[in-house]
Amino acid sequence: MRSLCLALILLSDTLIGGMAVKGHVDITAQAYLSHPQGKHADNFTASTQIELDYTEDDFESIAKVSAQQDYYDLKGSSDHNDRSFVRLDELYAKYDFENDQIMAGKNIRFWGALEVDNIVDSFNPDDLRSDLFDVDKLGAWNMAYTHYTDTGEFALIIKVDEQDQAIAAYPYVYYFFPSFVDYDKDLKTEKSRNRPSLYLKYSGSTESEYPLDYALIYENGYDSQRYFISSGPLNGLPVTFNIYAYLVNKVMSYNTLVVGSTLFKLEALYADVIDEKKISDYYHLGLGVEHTLTQFCHQADLGIIAEYYKYDTLEDDKYTDLELFEVFQNDLFLGLRYSFNEGNDASIVGGMIFDMDYDEQTYYLEYEGRLAETFKLNLDYRYIEPSQDTLTAFHLMKRHQRFSLKLGYYF
Amino acid sequence: MLKTITVCLIFSLNIWAMSNYDVAKKSDAAISGYEDASSQMQMTLINANGQKRERLMKMIVLEKEGGDKSLMEFLSPADVKGTKFLNYEHIDKDDDQWLYLPALKRVKRIASKNKSGSFMGSEFSYEDLSSFNVDKYSYQGEAQVVTLDGKAMYRGERKPVSKNSGYTKQISWVGKDDFLIYKIEYYDRKNELLKTALFNAYKKISGIWRIGKITMHNHQNDKTTILVWKDETVKNGLRDRDFHKRVLKK
Repeated sequence: MRSLCLALILLSDTLIGGMAVKGHVDITAQAYLSHPQGKHADNFTASTQIELDYTEDDFESIAKVSAQQDYYDLKGSSDHNDRSFVRLDELYAKYDFENDQIMAGKNIRFWGALEVDNIVDSFNPDDLRSDLFDVDKLGAWNMAYTHYTDTGEFALIIKVDEQDQAIAAYPYVYYFFPSFVDYDKDLKTEKSRNRPSLYLKYSGSTESEYPLDYALIYENGYDSQRYFISSGPLNGLPVTFNIYAYLVNKVMSYNTLVVGSTLFKLEALYADVIDEKKISDYYHLGLGVEHTLTQFCHQADLGIIAEYYKYDTLEDDKYTDLELFEVFQNDLFLGLRYSFNEGNDASIVGGMIFDMDYDEQTYYLEYEGRLAETFKLNLDYRYIEPSQDTLTAFHLMKRHQRFSLKLGYYF
Repeated sequence: MLKTITVCLIFSLNIWAMSNYDVAKKSDAAISGYEDASSQMQMTLINANGQKRERLMKMIVLEKEGGDKSLMEFLSPADVKGTKFLNYEHIDKDDDQWLYLPALKRVKRIASKNKSGSFMGSEFSYEDLSSFNVDKYSYQGEAQVVTLDGKAMYRGERKPVSKNSGYTKQISWVGKDDFLIYKIEYYDRKNELLKTALFNAYKKISGIWRIGKITMHNHQNDKTTILVWKDETVKNGLRDRDFHKRVLKK
């Protein structure tokens, strides 16, 4: 028994030796200065994320948990938002060989190059209960083999599960459907939702005078784009929106070209729909340019950013961008990033997004900086002028103006 | 007699005189040959009111003929913990730079043309932190022999070759015996004194001189940054594989 205790102590000591913990706790307060009648005029959310990382030579395992508590859910009244959760984001292990790596488990990946919308970043679905303007991804169960070359990598990834996507309840300001509509979060598919999605990814960097970071991805599996079908009202049951996924052959690419102080970016995808008659083949394109003026004002840098997005379906009599709630279908973004380059790493980002098909505009201004070394302050103002006569996602949300304050404690 | 003394004096001066270029070459040789290095870097930012902020980083460097490769991982403040910065230095073209943002799991390419930008809000620019290489500067004339803190030094001027440098010239003080750099004055694009760096705490690690501390004072905004290297080891057997882009996500 004593030997067992000693062995356990030694083992835990060994494990703790390679263990690292990090995370943050955030409080967010939002005021919606313009909002539809009947929806909340404000929101308060507490959230946290904790990550455990265990590393031993070429072996690494990660566990990451997120939790969110909405104020109206805490009150327990009929005003509840259904935005509170405890979620396992990542739980995976990977092992590095000389020129190869194997990985298995639940994780989050990032693909993309642009700033406002990463149209090829489709591996993980978003958690629709979180702030509409935050990127909050759900982890995906998968396994991957990667082979590294001198200047790049080749990866084979197999995703083995498509997840349900819960959304917030009606009184929440970012519930898009009318109040009489129920949303059924259970994902519906023609084939099993555990039908594997296969991804082949080739990426690298050139060492030319104008260096290029490139990535090319082929997917055979479930598309990241979803569609909705309403049912009812029937026998006294309310109107229900169901969420559907379908299979595609998809080619995606994201690239960054460096020319002096300017970055040129391209994200593009083409999807060939396999098993769904209602959904058309489609393409999505994003072009971007980012120029940085170093020491624009004393130590501060100024980044000038412009991005253009184009989405279109290729077949008639099928769902269009409106029915698919695609926001970036013919949009231009113009923005500035002012980095103070001082001790608190403060920056201000501002921009305008113009929808040139439906005459919609989005304006935003965001400040981020560090307080007392362990706190992070985020102030954000947004204004959305929706289309007057077209049923876009923003039209359903109505004119929107919000002010948001987020304070985070980091450890 | 006077003629003999004059000839001897001129002869002796010629023997002891050294060109700025030769001083730079010997200075480069004095700190080269470490092959690779691993250390922790503590950066203290001091503003004009004396308020201090600490940053902690882990750094590895691979010595390469065409330009060093380096990987820096931020350990504190907590909100940037795990952020990594990978740099492939090039003598003849812009460096290749990538930043890894762990919160988004995103690797971002960085445009590195302008090297004069501030490094992490400090008084060091990316240019200041890049490795010393003789070919990055042009030199003229002979170095003056001067005294700094009671030690004989070569004082010389060098001009950055790159058009994108933030400096018009640098004045350096190099130890006459050990050829280690002890002080550099940096002159901005208006040819005004911008910053002074003091180099201290040199130590020999595995037979190679390594810098232990740099204090950089900005004369124009009265801010100071102190960079201290801790637990440094050299010749660890690091390879190109340890500086592959794959290590950013590791």
